[in-house]
Amino acid sequence: MLLVLTEEHREHLSMLPQVEPSVVGEFGRIALEFLRRGTSPKIYEGAARKLGVSVEAVQQGVEGLMFLLMESSKHTISEVDFMDSVLILGFGEELNQVLLQLYQDNQVQIRRILSQLIPSQPAFHQLEWRLDVQLASRSLRQRLVPTVTMRLMLSENEEGQRSTRVLQTDPSTLLHLISTLEAALAAVKTSHSRRILRNIK
Amino acid sequence: MELSESVQKGLQSLGDQTVLDRCSFPVVVDACFRSLLFSRGDPAVLDLPELKHLDKILLKQIHAAATTFILEAVKHNADKSTISFSLEELTFNTERVETFYTTLKFHFWATLILFVMSSSIGRGPAHIKDVSWRLQYQMKNGQLDKVNEPFYLISLMLFYCTSAFARLQDLVGKLKDAAKSVEKASQV
Repeated sequence: MLLVLTEEHREHLSMLPQVEPSVVGEFGRIALEFLRRGTSPKIYEGAARKLGVSVEAVQQGVEGLMFLLMESSKHTISEVDFMDSVLILGFGEELNQVLLQLYQDNQVQIRRILSQLIPSQPAFHQLEWRLDVQLASRSLRQRLVPTVTMRLMLSENEEGQRSTRVLQTDPSTLLHLISTLEAALAAVKTSHSRRILRNIK
Repeated sequence: MELSESVQKGLQSLGDQTVLDRCSFPVVVDACFRSLLFSRGDPAVLDLPELKHLDKILLKQIHAAATTFILEAVKHNADKSTISFSLEELTFNTERVETFYTTLKFHFWATLILFVMSSSIGRGPAHIKDVSWRLQYQMKNGQLDKVNEPFYLISLMLFYCTSAFARLQDLVGKLKDAAKSVEKASQV
């Protein structure tokens, strides 16, 4: 699929051919850093002074580049589609290659950064378990009750924040849990699932 | 079985033939069992016509002692000889011991329920009763197209957690280890 770039976007990117391709590479590096850590106006000012252009032009150029890379990574467009989308901007061959290189080198990373923006649910991280036997309680003596005590660790979000829960179950429920979850695992291998996984790409 | 002084005193009154005659004794014993097992704290459990002639305070003391004794017997899973021994020490005659034990056996199933209820008293971590799952296929979301990943949504009683395929296998593997260990321990 081709990217559709708005008039405004094209205007922002129009300053890129005015500078050296190495500078465009530098802008790309800055853009990625900003995607990772957020923008910093001081860098715009420094770059504007070095290149002899306005701060606004530098800002628009970098942000335009950020948006281009983000949209391309979001849709994982192919090389051919990327080049076709960029051709519309009317840049030179060298500049197009620089942009393509930027995209290819950083696509995976950008997708990872974007995935951090998705509201995430707690996910399984680790399970520790222990077999306990209750021998007595205040209300009852001479007991023999096996229980499996577990510590379930979940990762709450991408930053790795963990939550821990202590749970207990008896052996028969444990076997039931195992058989139910094995049925869940088997569900992804059915022909229905395989057909969907194969055809929706 | 160790019994406190007030329980011993109450039981001695229960066994004393001058306090409770042959007709009232089984009625009192039955009332004590019923108040533990069936009546759910009904204050009228001792309001029986056969017991009208008895001193109310003494009756309450006897009732409290007998119910405590029954709970202690359940707690220690006492057999007939233990119960007989304890009651004979408190001047119960053979006939009364027999009546008490017969009533215990008569309410056997209810006593078993009492046993189970006692076993649920106590603190512990949340208990897993069941697990339900859902397999989903994520195609795209607000930030990314072409995600194309199957994932599981697992619900364990009170909370939810998602799990990628490989991680679910990990979880199941660990649960299986736990189960194997339980089996080995049970064979010892």
